[in-house]
Amino acid sequence: MIETILNRLLVSIPVLFGVLFLGFALVQLAPGDPAQVQAGPTATPEVVAQIRQEMGLDQPVIVQFGRYIERLAQGDLGRSLISNKTVASELIVAIGPTLELMVASLIWSIPIGIAMGTLAAVWRGSLFDRAIMALSVAGVSLPIFFICLVLIQLLGVKYPIFPFIGRGGPLWTAEGLRHIALPAMSLGLIFIGPVARMTRSSVLEVLRLDHVRTARAKGLTEREVILRHGLRNALIPVVTLIGLQIGYLLGGAVVTETIFSYPGIGRLAVGAILSADFPLAQGTILVLAIGFIVVNLIVDILYARLDPRVQKK
Amino acid sequence: MTTMDVRNAALVDQAPARRSWWKALLADRGAMLALLVLTLIVLAAVFAPLLAPFDPNANSRAVMQPPAWSERGNWQHILGTDGQGRDILSRILYGTRLTLLIALVAIGIGGVIGSGLGLLSSMYPRLDPWVMRLNDMMLSFPAILLGLAMVAVFGPGVWPIILALAVASIPDCARIARSIGIGVMSQEYIEAGRAVGLTDWTIFRKYLLRNSISSIMIFLSLRFGQVILIGAALSFLGLGARPPASELGMMAAQGRDFLLFAPHIVAVPSVAIFIIVLCANVTGDALRDVLDPRLKS
Repeated sequence: MIETILNRLLVSIPVLFGVLFLGFALVQLAPGDPAQVQAGPTATPEVVAQIRQEMGLDQPVIVQFGRYIERLAQGDLGRSLISNKTVASELIVAIGPTLELMVASLIWSIPIGIAMGTLAAVWRGSLFDRAIMALSVAGVSLPIFFICLVLIQLLGVKYPIFPFIGRGGPLWTAEGLRHIALPAMSLGLIFIGPVARMTRSSVLEVLRLDHVRTARAKGLTEREVILRHGLRNALIPVVTLIGLQIGYLLGGAVVTETIFSYPGIGRLAVGAILSADFPLAQGTILVLAIGFIVVNLIVDILYARLDPRVQKK
Repeated sequence: MTTMDVRNAALVDQAPARRSWWKALLADRGAMLALLVLTLIVLAAVFAPLLAPFDPNANSRAVMQPPAWSERGNWQHILGTDGQGRDILSRILYGTRLTLLIALVAIGIGGVIGSGLGLLSSMYPRLDPWVMRLNDMMLSFPAILLGLAMVAVFGPGVWPIILALAVASIPDCARIARSIGIGVMSQEYIEAGRAVGLTDWTIFRKYLLRNSISSIMIFLSLRFGQVILIGAALSFLGLGARPPASELGMMAAQGRDFLLFAPHIVAVPSVAIFIIVLCANVTGDALRDVLDPRLKS
């Protein structure tokens, strides 16, 4: 087990470097000369040259990359060009809400997706099965922004049950829950379809296996067969799918946060990019990318735990 | 069994299979309907300049007019007008054009590079670990992140988004092409081709590419819907297509401010995206089930 985790961690290192390099490249490619910006428009060329030297901009790219990593390690991501706060402080405030949104979306959509997929597999070919499959194809074809706007119109305006702007507070408070309801509903809805589809095909596959036949032969009820022998094994590919779909969820989160003015990383990123706030844009993209790597790492480890065969490879 | 027998057996196997996949597809009424609608949409997009009743960018005084079937609507603007009084039907036609074009170009670029990499690594096992490692790295950048990064560097626009969607398509495509390619490379005709001294380039072109291209195309068609959705989402956020061009995601975003008084400005382009993506997904699923169930996992 520990070996699997270590192996997986080792694989993540080059990926992490790739991400850091991307962040670095973003700064390098951004228009404008940082030394000139620092010196101001009236500075003489000599002053600009001096500042460039102080900032290390005259060094070879590889040295600059080293310095960049050094600064990152110290949590120094620069300052936002718009708010003049440090990028790190802006990011720290935004990470929590985004995690909350992810959790609040997955916590209801994954169980529902798994339940729907399992029932569809058990009643294969029935009207229920066909309805679930049709719904899930429709679900993956809907643009996320449309789901958000329909929910706002329906549950925010027509029947004003939930607020649809901003965040009300931490998840464990009533106000926080009320505010996160609509964003979490929107984001969860796009996740049910893929989970249901994957669960269905996975359960169908497992129900065909020998050990399920044995379980039936020894006289277990259908319910026990499916819950104890079918679903348990069928969930392994579902975990992988959830991992693969995290990128998709991230995309959804960026849109959802922006529409609901929800103060998470996604909205911060879009705002920073649209206002050409390069240090902040770079910071948000770095955090999103690193978050994505970490989640994938967790999913892989979970996968190895669930499926003993993975460890042997 | 000799090589000849294997070949004959394969031919015998293939002939009825070829006829039956068409039959199976024709029998799938849902898929045929989806294919028909998709074809009509593509035609409408291609011939947008001929079909559009108005200039898509022409303002009029009839602002926020609802579609024809609602109470205050009229048949002059069948799908109503937007916040600037522009005819929504005309904008939808042009918008579909741009939305489809973005997705097609992105998938085309990503598909060619990705399947090229995948097929090469199936042909040259020495290359394989490197390509796969590069692939793993690229998989760590979901499309939306690439999109954000590209726009951060190049500024909002259609090309940064196409670039992001193309790059995001490469790793999946390479993985699929590789596994298809490995299957093809283990066939005896490859060995036979090598034995008679064909060059690698000929083997690649005549055997590997020809025998894997249909499966790769099916995979790309499955991806098409997703690429449209991500592209539209990026444009919705204001990172993609720029006004005054019409793009479906951007049109929906422009209607956001009028959601309460004129919900059709958001709904019409959103439903258009939904129909396109739904048809693409249903068609892709059916094609895969009929032609290449191996891709199902």
